[in-house]
Amino acid sequence: MQELLSAISLGSIYLLFSLGMSLTWGTIDVLNFAHGAIFMFSTFCAYLILGTTALPFVAVLGIGVVVGAALSLIIQIGAFEPILKRARNKRSAEMQILIGGIGIATIPLAIAQQHTKSNPFGLAGSSFHVTVWHLGSSRITNVAVFTIFAGLVLWGVIAWWLRYSKQGLALRSIGVDAETASLMGINRRRLALLTMAVSGGLAGLAGVLFTYSTSAITPESGDTLLIKAFAIIILGGVGSMAGVIFGAYALAAVETVVLTYTSGSWVDAVAFGLIFLVLLARPAGVFGRKEVRRA
Amino acid sequence: MIDFFNSNLVLVQATLAGLVLALSVQVPLRMGVFSFAGAGSYGLGGYAAALLVIHLELNAFEAIGLTMLITAFVGLLLGLVISRLNGLYLAMATVAFDLIISVVAINGGTFTGESTGLYGVIVDFTTTQMFILTLVALVLVALSERGRVGRRSQAVRDDQQLAASAGVNVRRYRLMAFVVSGALGGLAGAMNVMVRTTIGPLDIGFGLIVLALTMIIVGGAMSWKGAVLGAIIFTWLPHFLDFIGEWQNLVYGIIVALAAIFLPRGIHGVIVDIIRSVQRKRRGTLDKPAPDPSDDAGPEELLPTSSGAPSSPPQQPVPGGAAATQLARGAKS
Repeated sequence: MQELLSAISLGSIYLLFSLGMSLTWGTIDVLNFAHGAIFMFSTFCAYLILGTTALPFVAVLGIGVVVGAALSLIIQIGAFEPILKRARNKRSAEMQILIGGIGIATIPLAIAQQHTKSNPFGLAGSSFHVTVWHLGSSRITNVAVFTIFAGLVLWGVIAWWLRYSKQGLALRSIGVDAETASLMGINRRRLALLTMAVSGGLAGLAGVLFTYSTSAITPESGDTLLIKAFAIIILGGVGSMAGVIFGAYALAAVETVVLTYTSGSWVDAVAFGLIFLVLLARPAGVFGRKEVRRA
Repeated sequence: MIDFFNSNLVLVQATLAGLVLALSVQVPLRMGVFSFAGAGSYGLGGYAAALLVIHLELNAFEAIGLTMLITAFVGLLLGLVISRLNGLYLAMATVAFDLIISVVAINGGTFTGESTGLYGVIVDFTTTQMFILTLVALVLVALSERGRVGRRSQAVRDDQQLAASAGVNVRRYRLMAFVVSGALGGLAGAMNVMVRTTIGPLDIGFGLIVLALTMIIVGGAMSWKGAVLGAIIFTWLPHFLDFIGEWQNLVYGIIVALAAIFLPRGIHGVIVDIIRSVQRKRRGTLDKPAPDPSDDAGPEELLPTSSGAPSSPPQQPVPGGAAATQLARGAKS
């Protein structure tokens, strides 16, 4: 029971984090390698602000979301848009966005490492305190409950928006064929900015919630999470909302099992091994549509 | 010159290891195989060489040879498994391969020394030997950019279907990229552990991918000259720019991001463009006052590398070569 609860709350963090990544990758073709850095740096900014004033829970969450969305927009405008404008074809654009993202991710990482001397940092400065609730023999924190709730609700909202709203339809059409979508009068740039902002906000939210639940993170923790999110997305299928939620909880469940039965840090290898298995056995993922890609 | 090299021995060694590592990531990239497996091979090679020296007490060259065989074979296996993937999927699978190597290194018990790593890898291996091995690797890679192999790998990179229809065995070329990348990565890792005498999980993580990418993206991804430029710049820059000190990583990040956005072909690409435009201008001014294009002068001017093999595909002049030959001169004297 305890294992189940921790798997669900871990899975909800994964869900919030990979939701944004899946959204940008599946629609506007941006595999944002700086997503992990946004996750970490939003929390880092909240940590810095909490050093001066003690803020309540909601305000800290707000800081995380706003900083995350802002960072994501800066990266989109400052890096990915110029890359897309200059790239010769889609393949080289994908590759340059990946490399550009890796390069950009080192900037917030370096700032955070410099300031914290690579030590873990937390959000203990806020006026909010994590309390533990007892459910029979197992325990759950109020942050974990909030994380599960937030993960499911936001996933539902975004999945609904993508599926039924007019903007969601426009966004999905960009994912299928960006050029034709533009001809149909879809403002690609505006939608891309919106998507990146939502994605960054989700990363910031995930960062703050994760830090509350583990009490501290290191500047490097974004990198590991990034690879895990990648594993989650390809397990579920790129661009599939059902796939993200399945992948997030499946990875969390497997990791919890591995953590319970092995010692050391083998648990990190689960995601990496999973990437291999999925790419070999079912490259489109469990819920993925068959990829239509013209040469 | 000798004094200079003796006092900067560590940096020279780092440049050489960095260069071979950069080549191990660049060779597949140049062939359109978006693989970062070279970084994993570097880690694997470092640990393999260390274990071979510690447990089997092999000498340096036996250990390096065996390590390269191992990493090339692992590269081949990896290639067989994932070479049908493309683009980002391939890239991420190779990132996963690199990270699995570090997880194994951390969890390998006393065999890999866990988080402290292995130390006491003491073997007779000099910087001159390291230099010669690096030079051999560099020459082989440079040769592979010319002639038949060079043209074919370029075709495989630009358009696989077209290359296949022209009779190029695309699959074999892609597998070759994995094998060469594995061997080069293994060489770099083995040489590095032999001059450093230690290796640990921190040396082989995600940062290694970033380092290799930094060198080849800023230097230039499409030629060995770019890798040479990148390796020299990023090993020596902190040495000359003491004031950036602790902000080194930040400056690196900014440089890489800017290069990836605005100079996708790297410094080498910019130099090539400049030389080309200068030549075009010179040709233009030459043509106007002397409008008698004699047949002897004509073709020579059209071929920028009259020194190179005339049968090779249009090859640009060698800006990175200057640095390489300088390095060569320095070590020989």
